[in-house]
Amino acid sequence: MAELEKVCTKSFLPEERRISAQGGKVFAKNTESSAGREKILSVQDLVIKFKLRGQVLTAVRGVSIDVYRGESLAIVGESGSGKSVFAKSFMGLLDNNGWVDSGSILFDGCDLTKISREKEWTQIRGKRIAMVFQDPMTSLNPLRTIGGQIREALLLHGSLSRAEAKEQTYRILADVGIDDPKRRYRQYPHEFSGGMRQRVVIAIAIAGRPEFLICDEPTTALDVTIQAQILQLLKGLQKKYRLTVIYITHDLGVVAKVADRVAVMYAGDIVEVGSCEEIFFDPRHPYTWALLSSMPQLRAKGEELCTIKGTPPNLYQTIRGDAFAPRNPQALVADFKARPPYFYVTPTHAARTWLLDPRAPKVEPPGHIKRLGEEGGWRNG
Amino acid sequence: MGMLKYSIGRLLRALVTMAAVLSAVFLLMRLLPVEGYFGDRSDAMNEKVKEQVLKSLGLLDPWYKQLGNFWKDLLHGDMGKSIVYRKGVSVVKIIVPKAKVSLKFGFAAIMIEKLAGIPMGVLMARYKGKFFDRFGNLYILLINALPAAVYYLLIQLGGFGLFGVSMLYRPGQIGTMILPVISLSLGGIASTAMWMRRYMVDQMNMDYIRLARAKGMTGSQVAFRHMLRNAFIPMAQSLPASILFTISGSLYIESLYSIPGMGGLLVTAIKRQDNTLVQALVLLFSVLSIVGMLLGDILMMLLDPRITLGDRKGEGR
Repeated sequence: MAELEKVCTKSFLPEERRISAQGGKVFAKNTESSAGREKILSVQDLVIKFKLRGQVLTAVRGVSIDVYRGESLAIVGESGSGKSVFAKSFMGLLDNNGWVDSGSILFDGCDLTKISREKEWTQIRGKRIAMVFQDPMTSLNPLRTIGGQIREALLLHGSLSRAEAKEQTYRILADVGIDDPKRRYRQYPHEFSGGMRQRVVIAIAIAGRPEFLICDEPTTALDVTIQAQILQLLKGLQKKYRLTVIYITHDLGVVAKVADRVAVMYAGDIVEVGSCEEIFFDPRHPYTWALLSSMPQLRAKGEELCTIKGTPPNLYQTIRGDAFAPRNPQALVADFKARPPYFYVTPTHAARTWLLDPRAPKVEPPGHIKRLGEEGGWRNG
Repeated sequence: MGMLKYSIGRLLRALVTMAAVLSAVFLLMRLLPVEGYFGDRSDAMNEKVKEQVLKSLGLLDPWYKQLGNFWKDLLHGDMGKSIVYRKGVSVVKIIVPKAKVSLKFGFAAIMIEKLAGIPMGVLMARYKGKFFDRFGNLYILLINALPAAVYYLLIQLGGFGLFGVSMLYRPGQIGTMILPVISLSLGGIASTAMWMRRYMVDQMNMDYIRLARAKGMTGSQVAFRHMLRNAFIPMAQSLPASILFTISGSLYIESLYSIPGMGGLLVTAIKRQDNTLVQALVLLFSVLSIVGMLLGDILMMLLDPRITLGDRKGEGR
């Protein structure tokens, strides 16, 4: 341990060295799995800050991630980890007291952080990037008909006449699984159930024919049977409209159902990113271990649930080292000293933890996490 | 269909309320001292004469009979005769012309209040924290902090001094209405703008406004297509009542410009113990508030699709 401490205080590894956990094996930047795919969104060192009661809070601390066209990426993390703020910045929908401090968001070659005028945002919002919000009960204007609210989105972005837009609205309503669209068109949100309203919110999102869809906790406010239906619907629409989808969620069940890739966020940073299988069956970051351990599915009935001790760090202060170190019982000394870079386990799987440094002592993940990887069966159960 | 049912239900409830209130007011009026019925020269009357007067007015009958007569007269449009204020004149004839004058001024003032106050509130919310908002807040603060009498006088003197507008109201000359109407509306503009701004700001933080922005609407589009109507609803309920209540007139403005309106009529009637006039005015104001609330509810129903009377199905808002 002392050895590693010495190494790390000197200088930490340049990111380019991309070392696998086993040590030695170095991956080139674009290997087969990601070569053929087109990046639709590329975030580099994004820092988002908020001013709250005279203090500045750093909600997103230098996040980088690429999103490929047509995939579905889930961003998971606990409340306050910055996942929602991160995704909102793609649409310029940060609250008035928040701003992108540095970094870039390249969307189809255009840097979204450079957009300052609202006019330019209206060309992105709804038209190219759309969003499905968490609470369908409050996301619709209570005083306007369902049809009117969908048609409005169509009229904003298309060159349709009002009558054409109405016809198109009927089709979209049918697409999101609402029966009898002609009657439903004239109804008001209070005449719809929560699940139906979420379908309407989704209809509004896809009305502008976006390429990129952000689903901010799309099922959190719904009951379990409806959740499954909505996720099924989103999956179907993704295929039909060739959407790239980002799911923001803290529900690992949702992740398992819909995601191709998973990014785990903690305290404003992505600590681990990989394919769904890699994150669930071969997690490498201690925070991911802790997060997975807290799933009730892993426990026998009657057994106490696993919790993560402590509280997330105070984002008003500068965080040194690994943000999770204070809550990590197996933290290395290095974790407190310097922020780890991303170490690549495979070309698609990277984690920000000193544990993956070849000089680090070998720390085993908790037993049930290991078993998860070996059995891999719970996902179907 | 639901709307018609709602309106009829609401109307019936209002009628029942009205009947109850009118009866209650009438019965309470019976507790007033009877001196109010003898006019100015009550001291010169002996007991016998007084009894005669009361008998001729039907005031010695048992209460239920009096109540019955009251309703019979009321349905014929007879509210009795004034005793002191203008002796022997039907109170309806006293009230109606005065009410018309007050309503004319009041209605004009309310129109200006809403036409100026609502856009002002909307713009203040739209440019919250910026120059226009600060300017508007300054105006609201000044109007509320300054005693109304001060700016009433300034307007009267200023209008006369600078533009040579008549200091008094002359019936038939529209120009002489300008100063009193402006004076009446200044306070209303301030409160309308203040509430409108507040309701707009409330709407701004709603989820559906975020969704509207995520659709790709500009700030102005969101403000006018989504927020305005929603923010107006809480104001709509009180709108009919506030129009109707202008009938009661403004004591200060009306005396300042010598307008023959209703301002202070109730106070005068009470002071001079003109019981029938007091009774008629109290009844009138009760009816106005009931009708005002009824119209307010119906207006709300027209604006807000969620409202239907007693229908518990629309629980999830």
